[in-house]
Amino acid sequence: MKHSETDSQDGLEWTYDASQEVGMTRREKLREYYEEYLYKPGLVAWSDWRTRIGYAIVGLYLLFAVIAQFNLYRPPEASQEMPMLQAFQEGSAILGSNTIGQDILSLMIHATPEMLIMIVSGAVFAIVIAVLVGTFAGFKGGRVDSALMFAADVGMSIPGLPLVLVLTSTLRPTNPAIIGIIITINYWAGLSRAIRAQTLSIRENSYVEASRVMGVSTPRIMFKDIIPNLMPYITVNFVNACRAVIFFSVGLYYLGFLPYTNANWGVVLNNAYTQGAILGGSYVWLMAPIVMIMLLSLGLILIAQGMDRVFNPRVRTRLAGESESVEGDAEEGEVDTFGGAM
Amino acid sequence: MVNYYIKRTGQMVVTLYAVVTIAFGLVRFLPGGPATALRAQLMQDDVPSEVIAQRIELYLSVNPDAPLLDQYISYMSNIFLNGSLGKSVFIQRQTPVTEILAEALPWTLFIVISSIILFHIMAVVIGALMAYWEGSLFDTVNSAIAIVFTSIPFYVLAIVLVWILGYEMSLFPVGNRYGDAIDPGLSVTYILDVIYHGALPIASMVITQYGVRALSFRGNSIQILGEDFVRVARLRGLSDSRIALWYVGRNAILPLYTGFLLSLGWLLGGTVILEEIFNYPGIGLKFIEALEVRDYPVIMGVFIMITVALVVGIYIADLTYGKIDPRIETGDQSEAF
Amino acid sequence: MSTDYDDTSTDDDVEMTVTSLDAHDPIMQIHDARVTYDMDRGESRVLDDVHLELEREEIIGVVGESGSGKSMLASAMLDSVPDPGQLAGQIRYNPEDRDQIDLLSLSKEELRQVRWEDISMVFQGAMSSFNPVLSVKAHFKETLETHDHNVKEGMERARELLSDLYLQPDRVLNSYPHELSGGMRQRALLALSVVLEPDVLVMDEPTAALDLLMQRSILMLMEELQESYDLTMLFITHDLPLVASLADRMAIMYAFQLVEIGPTRALLDKAAHPYTRALLNSTPNLDAPLDEMQSIEGASPDPVNVPDGCSYHPRCPFAEEKCIESEPEYFLPETDHGVACFNWREAKERMSLNHLQARDDSGEQVRDTDDERGGEN
Repeated sequence: MKHSETDSQDGLEWTYDASQEVGMTRREKLREYYEEYLYKPGLVAWSDWRTRIGYAIVGLYLLFAVIAQFNLYRPPEASQEMPMLQAFQEGSAILGSNTIGQDILSLMIHATPEMLIMIVSGAVFAIVIAVLVGTFAGFKGGRVDSALMFAADVGMSIPGLPLVLVLTSTLRPTNPAIIGIIITINYWAGLSRAIRAQTLSIRENSYVEASRVMGVSTPRIMFKDIIPNLMPYITVNFVNACRAVIFFSVGLYYLGFLPYTNANWGVVLNNAYTQGAILGGSYVWLMAPIVMIMLLSLGLILIAQGMDRVFNPRVRTRLAGESESVEGDAEEGEVDTFGGAM
Repeated sequence: MVNYYIKRTGQMVVTLYAVVTIAFGLVRFLPGGPATALRAQLMQDDVPSEVIAQRIELYLSVNPDAPLLDQYISYMSNIFLNGSLGKSVFIQRQTPVTEILAEALPWTLFIVISSIILFHIMAVVIGALMAYWEGSLFDTVNSAIAIVFTSIPFYVLAIVLVWILGYEMSLFPVGNRYGDAIDPGLSVTYILDVIYHGALPIASMVITQYGVRALSFRGNSIQILGEDFVRVARLRGLSDSRIALWYVGRNAILPLYTGFLLSLGWLLGGTVILEEIFNYPGIGLKFIEALEVRDYPVIMGVFIMITVALVVGIYIADLTYGKIDPRIETGDQSEAF
Repeated sequence: MSTDYDDTSTDDDVEMTVTSLDAHDPIMQIHDARVTYDMDRGESRVLDDVHLELEREEIIGVVGESGSGKSMLASAMLDSVPDPGQLAGQIRYNPEDRDQIDLLSLSKEELRQVRWEDISMVFQGAMSSFNPVLSVKAHFKETLETHDHNVKEGMERARELLSDLYLQPDRVLNSYPHELSGGMRQRALLALSVVLEPDVLVMDEPTAALDLLMQRSILMLMEELQESYDLTMLFITHDLPLVASLADRMAIMYAFQLVEIGPTRALLDKAAHPYTRALLNSTPNLDAPLDEMQSIEGASPDPVNVPDGCSYHPRCPFAEEKCIESEPEYFLPETDHGVACFNWREAKERMSLNHLQARDDSGEQVRDTDDERGGEN
C-alpha cells in the first residue's frame, strides 16, 4: 500500500489544513483525548458491577502503596516482633510475624509500591510496543507488514517464562521498572498480531480511507483514526498484561531468580514455604502473600471482564439484549431509502 | 492449497532458524552469559588456558576464540545437522543434553498434555452448560468460580495443594514420578501410581486454566445462539442435540482450537515452576537445576526444546485450522489467529 | 398542485367490518396478532393486533419502514417470535387436505412438523442463514432427515430446484456457504426453504443484501417458483416498488399495525392512507422527476410509546382532534381495499401522487392502469 509519503506538495498542504482546522492547543487536545477515550469509557465501565469491584480492589492496592511510600506503617525489620507470632496474637502485628520476627502485614504493605511499578512499567512497555507494531504493520501492509509479523511470530515462539528466567538470572536486574520490562520482553508479540487484525478492519472504514486519500501522514492516521478506535481493546489487554507481570514476577521471586529483596510477596511466599510455615502452623504467613496476589489479580480480571462487556456487545447476553429483536428490526435496512429496484 | 502448505512449512523452518539464532545470541552475547561464565568456571578449575576454548566448544558447541561467523555456523550446524544440543557441564557432567532431555521430556509431556486435554474438556462442558442455562444460578456461580480460579497463579495453587493435600493430610505424594517400591513397566499398579504422582501438578494446572476458556466458550456459545443460522435451524425442525452439537458447539469451539495448541508451549514454560514446587523430575526441574548452577548447555537445550514445541504447535494449528473451519481454507489470510 | 384524481368507487364513508377484506379461501388467518416484550421502560408492543388473511396461492407484499414490526409479523406466522416476546391472538393455517391447524395451540413437536413442511421461511441475509461449517448439501440432507422425508428423492428435488433457480446443483451442493456469492446463496436458501414442498412461504427481506440486478432476477425466479409449486407467498420488504412488481395484494405497515391493504394496483394508484401516499412519493423510481421526491417528515414511533389514537398523527398533515382521540377502524374505498384513516378522502384529494402525475405528463391514461390483478379478490 503506497500512500502519503509518495504524495506531492498537495499532501503536505492537506495535513497542514487539517491541523489548522482543528485549531486546538495541545492542552485542549489532550483534554479531549482524555474525555473521549479515558473518562467516558471509564464512566461506562463503572456501570458494570464487575468493574466497580475491580476498581475498588485496585484502589486498595494504591492505598497500600501510598501508606508504604510515606511510611505511614512501619517498614519490616528483623526482630521488630517476637518470631513466629500467630495472627491476632499481638495487637502490634495483627497478621503475626515470621521466623526472624518481621511483621507480616508490614511485609505485605511495603512490597506493594515496587510491585505496582513493576506491573505498570511491564504492561506499558508491552502495550506500547504491541500497539505500535500492530497498527503500523496493519496500516502499512506489504513488506513492512510481513517483516513485522515475522518478528512477531518469532517472538511468539519463544517461551516466555524460560526466556525471562535466562535473562533475569544472568542480568540480575534490581530496578523494578526494568524487571517489569524484562518480564514482558516478548509479551508484545502475540498481542501485536491481534492488534494488526483489528487495524486491518478499521483501515477499511471510509474515514480512514478518506484520510489516506487526502494524504494525511501515517503517524497522524495511526494516532488520530486507528488507535482511538482500538482503545477499548487496548485497555482490556493492558489489564491482562498487568496480570501477566504479577504472575511472572512473583513466580520469579518465589524461585529466587531475582535479586533478593526483603519485601516481595513472592519472597515471603518462598520463605514461608521453605522455612516451615506449613509445619510450624503459621498459615497466615503463607496465606498473606497468596491473598495479596490473588486479590490484585482478581481485581484486574474483574476490570477486564467488565470492560469487555461494556466495549464488546457480542458478550452481552440474550437477556441483557432483550430489546434486540426490536432493534434488530431497525437494522434491517436503510431507514430513509424507500427507493430500490423498479 | 499445496502452495500454502509449502509456504507455511518454509515459514516454520525460518522461524525455527530465527529462534535458534536468538538462542545463539543469548549464549554468546549475554553479559556474564554462558560463554563467559563457563570460561571463568574452567579457569577456576585450573584448566590449562590452551584447552579452555576446546572445553567450551565441547560443552556449548561454540568456540569463543573462533571468528564470530565460524562460531555461529558451528552452533547452528550442530543443532540442525547433528541434532546436538551440547553436553551438560554440571548437573550430569559430560552427558549429552539431548540424552538428559529425552529422559525427562516424556514426564513433562505427560503432565502438560493431560492438563491441556482435561481443562479443555472441563471448559467446554462447563461453558456449554453455563450458556445453556444463561442467567441461572448455575451460570452465575460458575462464572464467579471461574473468575476466582483464574485469578490464582497456577504455582500458588500448587503450593496450597502441596501444603494441604500433600503435607497436612498426606493424601498425595510430594515429589517423584512414581513410588520407590514400584517397578516401572506396563502394569496397572505402575500406571495408577504414575497418575497418582501426577495428580496434584495436573490439578493445579487444570483448576487455574479452565476458567478463562470456560468463560470464553460460554461467550462464544451465547453469541452463536443468537445467530440467524441457529434460528433457521430451529425453524427447519432440527433436533436440539443436533443444533447444540453441530451448530452451536462446532462454531463456538473454533476460537478455542488454536488456544489448544498454543497452550502447549505456554504450559511447557510453566512446568519450570510447577515441577520445582512438586519436585517432579521433568524438563522444567532440569531447567531450574541447571539455572541454579548455570549449566548453560542444559538451559539452552530446554529453551530450544520448548521453543520447537511451540513453533510446531503453531504450525499444526495453522495447517489444521482449515480442516475444522472451512472458511479459512480458501482464504489467503490463513493464519489461525 | 391540483388533484385531478376523482374517486369513483364510493361516495359515502363506508365503515364496514374488516371481514370484507378477508380471503375467500384463506390458507392462513392471522387475527389480532400481538407481540409484546416486557422491558424496563414498560411494555413494548412490536406487533399490534394485526389482522391479515392470506388467499391460497396469492403473493402478498407487506411494506413498512425499518422498525415497523414487519419482521415480527413474519416470525409470528411461524410462531417463532424471538424470546422473551409474547405472541397472542390467533394464527391459523388451513391445509387443503387436512383440518384447520391453530398454530398457537400446537405442542412443540407438532409445531416442529408444521414449520418448514407446511409454512416455510426465507430470512433476510442468506449469509447468516447457513451454518458456516456445514456444506450446503448437509443443510438439505439434515432438513430432509429430520422431517422423515426420503433423502434420495428429496435430494433429487433439491437438484431440480437448484437448476430451476439457474444454479449448478452439484457445484452448489458441494460448496460451503462462504464459497457462494450472495446471489447464489440467496437462491440456495430459497431452494432449501421449499425443498419440503411447503404451502406457504414467508419471506423477510429476502433480497435486501443484494444488488439491484440480482434482486430483479431473484424476484422473477420467485414468481416462477410460485407458479410451479403452487406456493402462497408473503413477501416482506421496505422496498415498495420491488414488491409492487410481484405482489397480487399489498399491505402497508406502520407502527406495528397494517394501515392499508388492498390489491396492488389500487394501492399504487388509489392509495388512501396519507402514509402510503407519502411512501409512494418518497420512492424515487416511479418515473417521477427527482425534484418532486419528498421524504417523510418525522420518525417512526417507539414501540413502548406509540402515540394515542392514530399512531401516524404526529407525522400526518391531515391530523385533527379525532385522530388523537380515537384509533381509526378500516374504511373501505373499495370492497377489497381497506384503509385505517379518518381522513383518507382528504388525503386522496390533497396529496397528489408523483408517479401518476409523471405519467399524466407523459400522456398516459391513469384510469387504465386498473388491471385484472386488482379484481381478483
